[in-house]
Amino acid sequence: MAIDTVPPLVAAQIKYLLSHCPFSVKVEQMWSGCKNPSLLDRFTLVIPYCLDYIKWDVIYNAMYPLAAPDIIFGPEDESFQPYYDGTEKSCKNSLADWNSRDPARLLSLIIELRNAYMAYQRKRIGEVDDDRLKFEISTMLPREGIEMYMSSGTDKSEEVKFAVPLLDMDLNKLVAGSMWSHPQKIYLQIVFPVGKKYSTAPPTRLKLISSPELKALFSIEEFRLPPWLDGMCTAEYLPILEEMLGSQIKDAVASIETRRKFIMALAPLFGRPIEADPVFCRRATFLASSAVFNFLVHFSLPLQFPKQKAAIILQSSQHFNPQGVPVKSPNLTEYPWSPRWDPSEMADRLFDFLAEESLNFKKYCNQLVQQ
Amino acid sequence: MDDFPMDKIQISGATLASLLHRSSSAAGDIHGYLFGHATLSTPNPLSDHPTTTTTASLLIATITSFLSLPSHLPLPPPPPSTNSTALLGWFSSRRKTPLRPSLKDSTTTISLSKTQSLAFTPQNTNLSLPPSLFLLVTTPFQDQLIHTHEYKGFQYMGHAFEPKSLIIVNIGPSFRSQYDSFSPSVQFPLMDCELRGSNAMMEDETGDKKMSRLKDQKQLDNCAEGFEIDRVSKLMGSEAIYTGELEDLYDKMLAKIDGLSRLVEQTNAKVLEQLEDVTILGMLVLLCAIRSLEMNGNRRPSLNVH
Repeated sequence: MAIDTVPPLVAAQIKYLLSHCPFSVKVEQMWSGCKNPSLLDRFTLVIPYCLDYIKWDVIYNAMYPLAAPDIIFGPEDESFQPYYDGTEKSCKNSLADWNSRDPARLLSLIIELRNAYMAYQRKRIGEVDDDRLKFEISTMLPREGIEMYMSSGTDKSEEVKFAVPLLDMDLNKLVAGSMWSHPQKIYLQIVFPVGKKYSTAPPTRLKLISSPELKALFSIEEFRLPPWLDGMCTAEYLPILEEMLGSQIKDAVASIETRRKFIMALAPLFGRPIEADPVFCRRATFLASSAVFNFLVHFSLPLQFPKQKAAIILQSSQHFNPQGVPVKSPNLTEYPWSPRWDPSEMADRLFDFLAEESLNFKKYCNQLVQQ
Repeated sequence: MDDFPMDKIQISGATLASLLHRSSSAAGDIHGYLFGHATLSTPNPLSDHPTTTTTASLLIATITSFLSLPSHLPLPPPPPSTNSTALLGWFSSRRKTPLRPSLKDSTTTISLSKTQSLAFTPQNTNLSLPPSLFLLVTTPFQDQLIHTHEYKGFQYMGHAFEPKSLIIVNIGPSFRSQYDSFSPSVQFPLMDCELRGSNAMMEDETGDKKMSRLKDQKQLDNCAEGFEIDRVSKLMGSEAIYTGELEDLYDKMLAKIDGLSRLVEQTNAKVLEQLEDVTILGMLVLLCAIRSLEMNGNRRPSLNVH
């Protein structure tokens, strides 16, 4: 059976791209374009852009892997001609002096083309005859890193999307010991309709979007956007939003400490946790015993801890269901709690509650196993 | 250069088939030039219907031939266009890719259509058109489909690819109009005029064979004097050179025919002379015979009958 192989020179470039790219690119599928179908030389790159993805097909030539690749852009971007700026002589580009032995070449080509794409979208949107858009762009322009995209499907009405990076601070440095590989950012997605008469109406969509790994620290879904007042423009809205977001993030970072103190307060009573999340302190598991009954206590701490109480699940070490899975209790939430207690009191009360609850759980386990 | 929209792109079935075959037999992707001609034609509004009186002229490009090479090799400098064949544009053929112009396609097309020296003039016009045609050939992603190739023609105009329909010209009654307007103008082939070079075969031959061959060759050369084959190559070029050369050849031919007829006349005269000689000789022989008969008559042979 033929084993699908990528020509080594191409494979080295893809590997370098995936491991060194500042944004998270993905290779969606690979296929062959030569007579020998086991030589893979074509693939689709999924590149994040403006809180969405653009898909570009990269066409290598397995027969001649030394040759520079070709790129086919998305079906909506047929007018995107990055190396032609209206002048006779096009500027120097990554493809002009291609060196296939340098594994970093594909990465620099993709970054160059993505920047060109950003400029292309900005130019397109700049040419749209819409006073509202022109005003919004001119007032937003001092901010760095804004990405914009104009959808131009025939079936849907035209709209312009903006992705505005918020909070000019390095979120990666906020949490000590975080293992985030990509820079964490929160963006505001703003969508404006195109071609409407000049209006001061709020945009058709406002949404906060964060990089996925940020969920462990701060929940975007639970953040309530400040209202868009009548006659407001984006440049006025952003500072209000950023101020609110900044203070909430600060709270979120502070709440890590509260959770850590709580877990530490549990330790004298339950013993050292057998497993705990040391960075965000979102979960901890202790081994407990009541007479000869051994069980695990799983604590999951919400982001709003201590306002919201921890979810507790007990797991028996001695009882298993017919599938061989340890028996677990349902989520225990009905226990005495007050966010105003200090951590040691919380721990004390919980310990007392669990000492009683363990008897119920043991009964529950025995019943389940006897059936 | 003018940005004039092409109304139709035609390609003969044979040319397209050959192009598709070249694409599918190549190991990798290929690209190359498309040659042909463009004509501005005014359709004859011979119709019974009174409303069809609009006589807009159509610019029709016809692809007649192509040149292909693997796409990792750069396209060579295009050959100069002649009256009958012009560089219309180029094509790119690649397997299993979307049917959309790629980054390389657009840069190559832009560069071709921006090169002033490549512009050509369609027949019946004084326009100057750049080679702005682009033909994209791909194969479908799924192997199970009935068709094996997909193609799309474009004209690069005003910084964008305009999709154009490709009309395949085949033989048959519905294509009569194409054949009626067919003009048999074919570019003279570029001939390699090196004849009778050092032939390896000849060196093996023995001496006298070689001699006889040389003698034959000499005789042939005598006959063909003034009509050497490399003169044919001089026929290509500007019209003035062509006419001069042809006139020269014609003159030579006339002279040769003149010489031949003179030769025939001379030999005829000689034959006649010889004939005369023969009759005189015959008469002499006859006389002699009569005379000898007469002499024998005196001694007439006796027919003795015993």
